[in-house]
Amino acid sequence: MTEIKKVIEVKGLVKRFGSFVANDHLTFDVYKGEIFGFLGANGAGKTTAIRILCGLSRPTSGTVTVAGIDAGRPEEIKKRIGYMSQRFSLYDDLTVNENIELYGGIYGMTMKEIRHRRAELLTRLSFSQYGDTLIGSLPLGLKQKLAFAVAVFHDPEIVFLDEPTSGVDPITRRQFWEMIYETASRGITVFVTTHYMDEAEYCDRVTIMSEGSIVALDSPAALRDRYNTATIEELFVKIARPKTETA
Amino acid sequence: MFLLRKEFRQIVRNPFMIRAIIAVPILQMLILVPAVTFEIKRIDLAVIDNDHSPSSRELLARLSGSSFFRITATPVNIDEAEALLFSGDADMALIIPGDFSEGLAGITRPRLQVLADAVNATSAQLSWSYLTSVVRDFNRDIVIGKGAATAGISAAGSHQASIPGIGVASRFWYNPTLNYKYYMLPGVLVILITAIGLMMTGLNLVREKEVGTIEQINVTPVRKWELIASKVVPFFIIGLLDLALGLSIGWLAFNIPFEGSLLLFFGCASIFLVAVLGLALFFSTMASTQQQFLFIAFFFVMIFILMSGIFTPTESMPVWAQQFNWVNPVAYLMRINRMVMLKGSGFADIARDMGMLSLLAIAFIIMAIRAYRKRA
Repeated sequence: MTEIKKVIEVKGLVKRFGSFVANDHLTFDVYKGEIFGFLGANGAGKTTAIRILCGLSRPTSGTVTVAGIDAGRPEEIKKRIGYMSQRFSLYDDLTVNENIELYGGIYGMTMKEIRHRRAELLTRLSFSQYGDTLIGSLPLGLKQKLAFAVAVFHDPEIVFLDEPTSGVDPITRRQFWEMIYETASRGITVFVTTHYMDEAEYCDRVTIMSEGSIVALDSPAALRDRYNTATIEELFVKIARPKTETA
Repeated sequence: MFLLRKEFRQIVRNPFMIRAIIAVPILQMLILVPAVTFEIKRIDLAVIDNDHSPSSRELLARLSGSSFFRITATPVNIDEAEALLFSGDADMALIIPGDFSEGLAGITRPRLQVLADAVNATSAQLSWSYLTSVVRDFNRDIVIGKGAATAGISAAGSHQASIPGIGVASRFWYNPTLNYKYYMLPGVLVILITAIGLMMTGLNLVREKEVGTIEQINVTPVRKWELIASKVVPFFIIGLLDLALGLSIGWLAFNIPFEGSLLLFFGCASIFLVAVLGLALFFSTMASTQQQFLFIAFFFVMIFILMSGIFTPTESMPVWAQQFNWVNPVAYLMRINRMVMLKGSGFADIARDMGMLSLLAIAFIIMAIRAYRKRA
């Protein structure tokens, strides 16, 4: 593993909101091209961490480096990453083509480049017939796939997916994960948070968070062996239960 | 610029926006301009005529002959008249004493009693001055007719009306017919672009926060000024379009004169719009829902407009209120618009107001840029 480049380095990350500690001394590295899963119950601190990595929020203390850039320069980080949140965030009142054009343009692509790559992308997703359809009139599954495609349209080094599959049917989730694999195979690192435990099995490595801290970090197979469980779900129930409930 | 194109596409595609852009100026001009007037017409007058003489009838005929008064009741005594005032069936009561015509003949000094419902102080004041002016005319004619100065009547109410010793010939400049529409119209134009600029821009930004799309934009490397410009420019253009539309309606429907320079007029409006759009962005950073934004914006817009001098001259406001108007963009444009439209004032006349407005515009925009964070 020493040959592989680290694209995210986090050391002692703390994020406090008043007296509430959302992230308590997180330390982890993410390597280039891997699919890195971030697991945790609601309120475990996943979204807080991902927002810091994306430059939407500042750490209270600790060092965070994303794509070789310190978290103190969020605008530089933003140039090198893609982001898709659980709240669907393309513009409903713009067409598929217009949304792609907007985000391509924001990341500094020329109109010519955008047209070329857009045609390619829509063909690959077999979305060509939807080019002039308003996003608002597409079914949720298509929207989510499209949002992901837009998040990696500008070829970022890392793409952050914050619960990308919540509320999506199993077939679309499956297709979505195929897109994630395809993206990772292009050398784009995928950082994904989820609370679907079956999805954790698809990741190269997973991190399990509970109450703001990392309680486990390894490949799914290694974790299952170590805790002697058949699935990650079983493991999760075993180790990620909040202390307040077990007490 | 891609963001700007996106904003225009969204506006053009939104049927509500298009309707609002066209309907708001038309409705505001057609409703507010003629409706908001200080002219008091058809004052309901209750009359107790204890004299029943030709002179008293002559006075009453003059009153009801003017467009200001109509005699709606003839109560038999003061108590009944008071009851009418109290119930609101009469705005004023005029009591003509039994010795009225004797007084006019020079035997006693004739007096009239007037009671006015002064709940609305402004209308009471105006009704009072209309009445005294009718009485004064009546007086003068009698004086001239009889050639006897002693035969004048005076009204005893809260005021004394006597024959003016010096004749004052007044001529009203800039609005010679004292047409309230001319006075209101420039002000309504200011309200129009305040409402359009502040509400539409702010709601647009806060809506993106609500829907969550702003977060996607915030995570891109787009520069803050680009983002702000993309929000400001479309609404700036819409504001000017609506101003032009409103002004055209002023011409077509109310035949309002326009004495000054159109260029100066739109120039000042542009500075004002920058200030208002800056405020809209600033308020939108404080709100996370459209309701919150509306509450903040409505609160400030109301204060700005009421204190701007649209209804009451700012000069007669308390000193602290006049000082507040230093930071009230609406007050500056209100004054500028009236001066440019009605007086034909040039650049030199309004340079000070224009300068102050520019400072405010710069200050508000800086506030907005500083308060806006590409986080959420």
